[in-house]
This record gives sequence, C-alpha cells and structure tokens, in this order.
Amino acid sequence: MKRNTQTLPISIDAQQLVVTLNNKKILNNLSFQVSSGEVYALLGGNGAGKSTALKTLLGFHKPVSGQAVIEGLAVSTSLSAIRKKIAYLPENASLYPHLNAFENIEYFLSLAAVHKTHAEIKISLQQVNLQQDAWQKPLSKFSKGMRQKTAIALALLRDSPILLLDEPTSGLDPVAIDEFNQLVMSLAKQGAAILMVTHDVYGACQVAQRIGLLRDGALVGEFVADGGHQIDTEQVHKAFTAGVID
Amino acid sequence: MKQNLQSIQPVIMWKIARDEWRYWFRSKLAVVALLIGLTCTMLTVVVSVGDAFELEHQRGHAQQQSEQTFVNQPDRHPHRMVHYGHYVFKTPPPLGMVDPGVDSHTGNTIFLEGHRQNSATFADQKQSSGTTILGALTPAFVLQVLAPLLLVIMGYGVVSRERETQTLSILAAQGLGYGNLILGKISALLLVAMLMLLPLAISGIVVLSQGESLLTLSLFLVGYLLYLSIWILIIVSISLWAKSNSVSFSTLAFTWLVLCILMPRVATTVAGVMVPAAGKLEKDFAVVAELRQLGDGHNAKDKAFVQLEAELLKKHKVNRVEDLPLNFRGFVALKSEAEITSILNRYAEDRMHEELRQSFFARQFGWLSPQVALRTLSMLTAGTGLETHHRFLRETENLRFNFVQRLNQAHTNKLNYIDDMNRNKSEAAGQIARISAKNWNVIEGFKFRSSPSKERALQAMTPLAQLLLWFGMFGLFLRNLQRHYS
Repeated sequence: MKRNTQTLPISIDAQQLVVTLNNKKILNNLSFQVSSGEVYALLGGNGAGKSTALKTLLGFHKPVSGQAVIEGLAVSTSLSAIRKKIAYLPENASLYPHLNAFENIEYFLSLAAVHKTHAEIKISLQQVNLQQDAWQKPLSKFSKGMRQKTAIALALLRDSPILLLDEPTSGLDPVAIDEFNQLVMSLAKQGAAILMVTHDVYGACQVAQRIGLLRDGALVGEFVADGGHQIDTEQVHKAFTAGVID
Repeated sequence: MKQNLQSIQPVIMWKIARDEWRYWFRSKLAVVALLIGLTCTMLTVVVSVGDAFELEHQRGHAQQQSEQTFVNQPDRHPHRMVHYGHYVFKTPPPLGMVDPGVDSHTGNTIFLEGHRQNSATFADQKQSSGTTILGALTPAFVLQVLAPLLLVIMGYGVVSRERETQTLSILAAQGLGYGNLILGKISALLLVAMLMLLPLAISGIVVLSQGESLLTLSLFLVGYLLYLSIWILIIVSISLWAKSNSVSFSTLAFTWLVLCILMPRVATTVAGVMVPAAGKLEKDFAVVAELRQLGDGHNAKDKAFVQLEAELLKKHKVNRVEDLPLNFRGFVALKSEAEITSILNRYAEDRMHEELRQSFFARQFGWLSPQVALRTLSMLTAGTGLETHHRFLRETENLRFNFVQRLNQAHTNKLNYIDDMNRNKSEAAGQIARISAKNWNVIEGFKFRSSPSKERALQAMTPLAQLLLWFGMFGLFLRNLQRHYS
C-alpha cells in the first residue's frame, strides 16, 4: 500500500469530508484526490459510504465539515458550474422508460444545454456497443446492460472532464463488464478523471490506477498500480475481506 | 441545487413540460384520464348550452302562454280568477347554463294563486331518476369535482415517479435545479387544466351574447383557473414530498376525497347544526294554525269579520252591508288576503333568513376546502345562489299579491254584493255574479333578471379571497418544500 505521486492536475479533491445523515456519521474525515487521466476506485462493502461520497461530490449531501473541490471550485459555492463538468452514472442507470435511447440522450443533453447532432449521438451509441436495432425501442424494453450503455453514451456526449460512476458494472454480464472496462480505460486515456465506487474487487483492479479502501466512511488504505501493471487483486481482496470482517 | 428566481429558465421549463406531455401520451392511463376530462367538460358544456337555449325558449313561450290564457278567460266571478291562478317562470341567468346552482334543487316555476305561497317546482333534481340523485353532470360539477381527480390521476407521479426511477439524480447531475423541474411540471399540468377549461371559455362567447357582463364572466373563469391551479400546487407538493408513487397517489386520492367529497357535506351538516331550522311540515302546521285565527276570507259572515263590518257600516253611515257602496265580500277578501300575506311573508322571511345563516356557516368551509370556496364563487357570480333564489321568491310574491289584490279590488268595486250573495241560487244568478273579462288584465309581465354584475362580483369577494389564500398557502408550501429538497 503506497501512495502514488501526483503529476497530473487534480480534478477531484475530497478534503476531510464528514457527512452525517439521520444523526449517523456516514463519511468520517474522508480525503482522496483524483487526477485527470486517472481511474480511481473507491472500494468498500455495503454501507461503507461509497455512494454518499459520490453524492457529496455532486452536492446532493452537504458535509458537516471538510470540503469537496472539483477542478479548483468548491462544491459548496460553485455547484452549477461544477455540475457542468461532471457526468454521473448512478447505480441503477434509470433513464426514462417511455423514451427510446435516442430520445433519452437528446432530452438529457437539451436540459444540460449541450447541443449534439444525430450523427454524434449515433457515434456515441456505436462507441458503447449498443446494438443499432435497439436504438428506437423504449428503454422499458432494455436490459440493465443496455440501459447502462445508454447512460454511458449520454455521459460521453456531455464531454465532461470528470466521470462519477456508482457501481457501474453491477448486474452486467461478463462480456458487458469487459466492454465497459475497456471504455472506461479509453476515456481515462483521453484525459478524463474517473471516480468509480464499487464492491467488485476484480473489476476495480482491472481498470483503476489507484484503489481506495473505504470502511465506516474513512479511507483505511490505498493501492496503486505499479509501473503500468494492474493492482494485485489478491492483495486488495485480502485487505478488503479483512476490512469487511473486521 | 440551490436555485433562486434568477436561474429560472423558461426554455428548460418548456422542455420538462413537453416531456411530461410525451410521457402522458405514451402512458395509456394518462391519455384515458385526459380524454375523459376533456370529453366530460366538452359534452356537459355543449349539452348544458343546448338545454339552456331550449329551456329559455320553452319558459318564454310558457310564460307568454300562461299570461295569454289568464287574460283570455271569459267573464267570471273575480274570486274564481284568484284561484285560477297564474304560472311564473324563472329565466336562468346566462352563466346558469354552466352552473345551475341552487336552481337544480329549488325549482324554477311557481304557481301563483290567492291565499297561498306555493313553493317553486320543477327542480331538475326532483325530476331526475335515482341514479342522478348525487348530482347532475353539469360543467360546474365536472370542473369542481372531476377535474381535480383527473389532474391527480395524471399528475401524482410528476416528481415521485422521477424519484422512484432515480432520474431525479440524473436530472440534478445535468445541472437542473428543483425550481426549473417543479415549474416545468406545473406548466405541464397547467396546460391540462387550461384544456379542461377551454370548453368553458368557449361557452363564455355564448354567455356574453346572452347579455352577461365581461366582468362577471372574467371573475367566473379566473375562479375556476385559480381553483385548478390550487389543485396543481397540491399535486406537485405531495408528489415532491412523497417517497414513492404509491404514497403520492394514495395521499392525493385521500386529499381529493376530503376536500371535494367530504368537506362540502360536512359544511352542510355543520351549518344545519349551527342554525337549527324547523322542518317544512312543522312550519306548515304553524302557519296553518296562525291563519286559522284570521277567519275564512271566503265567508263574509265569519265572526272574525264582525268588527270589520261594524267599522265599515259606521264609516259609511249605513246599517246593512247591502247598503254599503262596495261589495263587502270583496272587501273581506281584500283585507283577508293582506293579513294572510303578512303572516306568510313573515314565515317566508324567517325561513330565508335561516337559510342564509346556514349558507353563511357552510360558506365558511371555503377556508377549509377550495371546492367549497369555488362552489360559492361560481354560484354567486353565475347568479344562481341562494340570494338570487330568494329575490325570485320575493319578486314572484309581490307579483302574486298585486294581481290577487287587483282582482279583489275588482270584486269589491265591480260586483254587486246582493248578486254576489245570490250567485249559487241558480244558473242564471251565477251568470249575473260575474264581471267583465277586461278586468283580467291585472298581471304584470314577469321577467326575472340577474342581479347587476357589480353586485354579484362584490358578493363573490369572500370566496375569491378564500381561493387566493389557498393558492398563496400552497404556493409558499411548495416553495419551502422545494428549498428543503434543494
């Protein structure tokens, strides 16, 4: 467990975040940073505070102390500006079931005041490997993987420098997981800062340059990919299991 | 997600409203609800306007015929004409075609005759079949009771659906604030409400052509728009507050039940308890008992008129009624009718006073239910409220008293007392005890008119204030709720 030296600009900076919900401390002095071009995975069991950490970065929860800074702007004071920079993929990527993939993307982009042509949307849907015959079907007929792909296509079209992914591979089949991981790594290579929260040790090790181990709302350890190699799954698994059991 | 008024974006609101409409079009339930709402409003307006024209024509014709029939009676004994009687018809005001108000319960036709104050008859409710006993399907009923329910069916999930499917967080992540979201949803529902009001607004052209003032019509339409807007605020507030669609729907259905079904009935019951009134039968007995003490006006020899006879003989310095320069039987009828009318009017005024007091208490429930507030505003501006019905009763009573007394006057002055007393002795004597048909021209042409529009508008100020309070209260509630969730 060693700390990586940051060379790229820091996109996400969580500074000693303390978040209380219903009188219960969910985040306890949580601090971590994610740079552009980096995939950072927050790994933790159920109730560790993973989703709360993401929602705090999005401004859905207000920290009792500490602060979240996105690309140099404090979430507490520059929320609108920050949301323009973030693409968020919730755990259950529930877009509108009455709309088809195209309509969903067009609608959400229009609300974000992002203008994309049909051709650009098509490219994005092809990029996420959503089969073409499904594009005009309502999302109520989509599998979870297909909905996830649509949501990722939307995130890509936002051209956001920061991606927040909440349990992105949960419920996906192995082929879809592999495709998703490839996509995430390619986005990071293009310069996006990607923060994903997950309890999937193997998935995290496959894509992340760094993994933060979260327990009871605090970071209890961090693993860093060494010299272009993946993070050692066994080592993370051991620490994670110990953490969960402890 | 803090958002102030400066960050409200009409374009975003429009997009959200348009998507809500797209959702409704693709959701069968919402489309069915919308179609039912529009069809009901449209049909009731068309049928009511058609009925109103037909009824007005029928009543006008019947009024004219009734007056002609009376005037065309041959030479008769004048008191037979007192009992022959005459019908008068209440012409509904132009807005009565939308909201018949109390007319559907009280009736619109009165038979005027001597010694009696008949109740109005031919009330729609009394003529209807058992299935319509809960209320006819008028445009007012559709908009006051059904339209809020249809808005609930269409709108209960406007925000709770987004929360349940977690699209709220994606919307927020697009930089969309609750303010724009809520205003967009309100706009979508407002468009539904305006569509439901469209037939009413179109019927306004007919109403104006029938002589209704623009002031009253505007107040009437504003009242309905305000009422449906209040429901939209209630729907969006509860949908925003509810954790799930099912909670939102059940809460809204319960709210509708309380505000539109229960509260108006509670209002009537409480008013009845606050201002207890004797039943009709009890009052009729009391009137009859008091009238009995007056003596029988048909019998000039009744001991109740002995003093009257003595005074009259003394005044004219004669010893026998036969020597009086007037017909004593007619004079007794004249005096008796005045005394009877005085008693009947006293009871009628007491009853109307009680009804108004009950109505006052019932109308205070407008502070507790916007439906009660709108019902009052609608009836008062339409001119179909209790006050107008009371005016109709007073005007017709005045008409009755005048024509009966004119006939009694003719009886007194134009028919010889001895001929009158001998009228039943033979057929020939009966022929003699008659006066000319020229005397039947005693009925004033009757045309019931609405109260001046200014007066009706002033009467409607309290229910309008009640509606504005509801609007302001839920507007503030929604704003605070939005801030809380932001």
